[in-house]
Amino acid sequence: MEPILSRNFNVPNAWKLSVAESRGAYETARKTLTSMKPDEITQVVTAANLRGLGGAGFPTGKKWQFLPKETTKPIYLVVNADEGEPGTFKDRYILERDPHQMIEGIIISAFAIRSHKAYIYIRGEYVEPFRRLQSAVDEAYAKNFLGKNIFGSGWDLDLVVHRGAGAYICGEETALLNSLEGGKGFPRLKPPFPAIVGLFGCPTIINNVETLACVPPILKNGAEWFSKLGSPGNGGTHLFSVSGHVKKPGVYELPMGTLLREIIEKHAGGLRDGRKLKAVIPGGISAKILTANEIDVKMDYDGLKAAGTMLGSAGVIVMDDTTCMVGALYLACKFFAHESCGQCSPCREGTGWAFKIVKRIYEGQGSVKDLDTLLKIASNMEGRTICVFADAAAWPIQSYITKFRSEFEEYIGRNVKLEMQNVK
Amino acid sequence: MSEFLLKSLDAEAERILSKYDQKKAATLPLLHLAQDKVGYVTPEVEAWVSKWTEIPVVHVREVVMFYSMYHKKPAGRHHIRFCTTTTCALLGGDKILNHLKKKIGIDNGGVSADGKFSLEEAECLCACEMAPMMQVGDEYHGDLTEKKVDEIIDVISRSPQAAEKS
Repeated sequence: MEPILSRNFNVPNAWKLSVAESRGAYETARKTLTSMKPDEITQVVTAANLRGLGGAGFPTGKKWQFLPKETTKPIYLVVNADEGEPGTFKDRYILERDPHQMIEGIIISAFAIRSHKAYIYIRGEYVEPFRRLQSAVDEAYAKNFLGKNIFGSGWDLDLVVHRGAGAYICGEETALLNSLEGGKGFPRLKPPFPAIVGLFGCPTIINNVETLACVPPILKNGAEWFSKLGSPGNGGTHLFSVSGHVKKPGVYELPMGTLLREIIEKHAGGLRDGRKLKAVIPGGISAKILTANEIDVKMDYDGLKAAGTMLGSAGVIVMDDTTCMVGALYLACKFFAHESCGQCSPCREGTGWAFKIVKRIYEGQGSVKDLDTLLKIASNMEGRTICVFADAAAWPIQSYITKFRSEFEEYIGRNVKLEMQNVK
Repeated sequence: MSEFLLKSLDAEAERILSKYDQKKAATLPLLHLAQDKVGYVTPEVEAWVSKWTEIPVVHVREVVMFYSMYHKKPAGRHHIRFCTTTTCALLGGDKILNHLKKKIGIDNGGVSADGKFSLEEAECLCACEMAPMMQVGDEYHGDLTEKKVDEIIDVISRSPQAAEKS
């Protein structure tokens, strides 16, 4: 398979414009802006079956069509580069190694949705990726690929790179908008959806880094080509972040619908010698865990939904037989308790309460009754809050305890704390 | 003292404000800018951001408290974020973190006596392919072992230049 998103990852200095241009960057944007109408672009993206690659998997073209047809307000394009889902690092590769493909995608997409102003919201800790991205944006401005009358098309587009400041919740698109506006990252009630009332109260489209990086190749090679690369209804390829107990952790670009077993055993080099697979988180820490017997599953939105979990951000965390599942749940609960924004009571109280109980179990002071309390807390968090963070916090609790119940009970029976004993 | 430092940032503040459609949107970048200069978010920094964004100081403070990257008290010259989330922990991060704590003589949230280092147990920094990992100042360091941590800390400790600015 020809790589589409990662084709420049190993090209030295591909983040510099001269190198990127020698690899064909901005040719498609030039052609598109000078020969196509905005709605034609949206049609192509819709037909390509491109789905939002930040985690939700919403069809991108359909999202764009939610914008009001007539509006006196400015329309904004906001790029979600607030990568934060544990187990995920794919957007960092694009930002650091090939920012121009994403910027080109931004130019084409902004033109398609009739936006003259785009913001990239990049997570605060990504300092080096930010510097490269900012330098790429500056270079694009200098060549008039951004700014006034881009490519002589008459279209103006300004692009601002905005740094976050360390809050996982800002990856949720409406929290991101509040944060970008200068406030706390509190998610907003929907409706109204951002396409109607978004940034500064104006119609706004929020797309993920990788999603936008898919746009130039789609316009270059056509909707049918892209759609056929993936599985039915899930167009294209996807960057899978693989980490944990595998020989070759890293980012792998593979067709949508590739089997999870193939990703682990073939691309990531399999498990470390002498170890057996125990469990896999298929789509970032929020996704329900899969046992070793459940990895013959297609890695796309529909395949993982059918398996009772989700593709999410495609962050695959592999755990071998040395992993203590109580410890793994402790880590997940610690994360969610730390990152809850505190706006809704079921989440603010629930994540903290669940963490306290799991910590107690982990430290050898738990009782079997605690497991049922945890499941009850989880079901009282699910679907009862403004955003899906609380659901995401509930899913590890439910899936780890349900699928590994006997291990939890045995651990509780021993009354001793086990250390995470794995050493790389 | 921070007032004098902040004065030197006025031109940059104006440039930042000009990029945004609303002044309030410049809150986060102005806080980053001021913190980089002053070292942490002092009451003067909050007042300075409030002046530029024209939002009340209490709202600026609310924002400062919400985000983990804004230092509410003086940080070390080299602030270390050590990832403690799933992949890093699965690959032995705990043990290496304990080693680091002994090496620089501080616990989570602490600042070393010489002001050189501060430590934060961080949640996922999205570099799981190089787990276990940490961020020192701006930079990511991955595939950590106790030996590698020693080397990184020793290099920083020895360099007088690096000691001034991370």
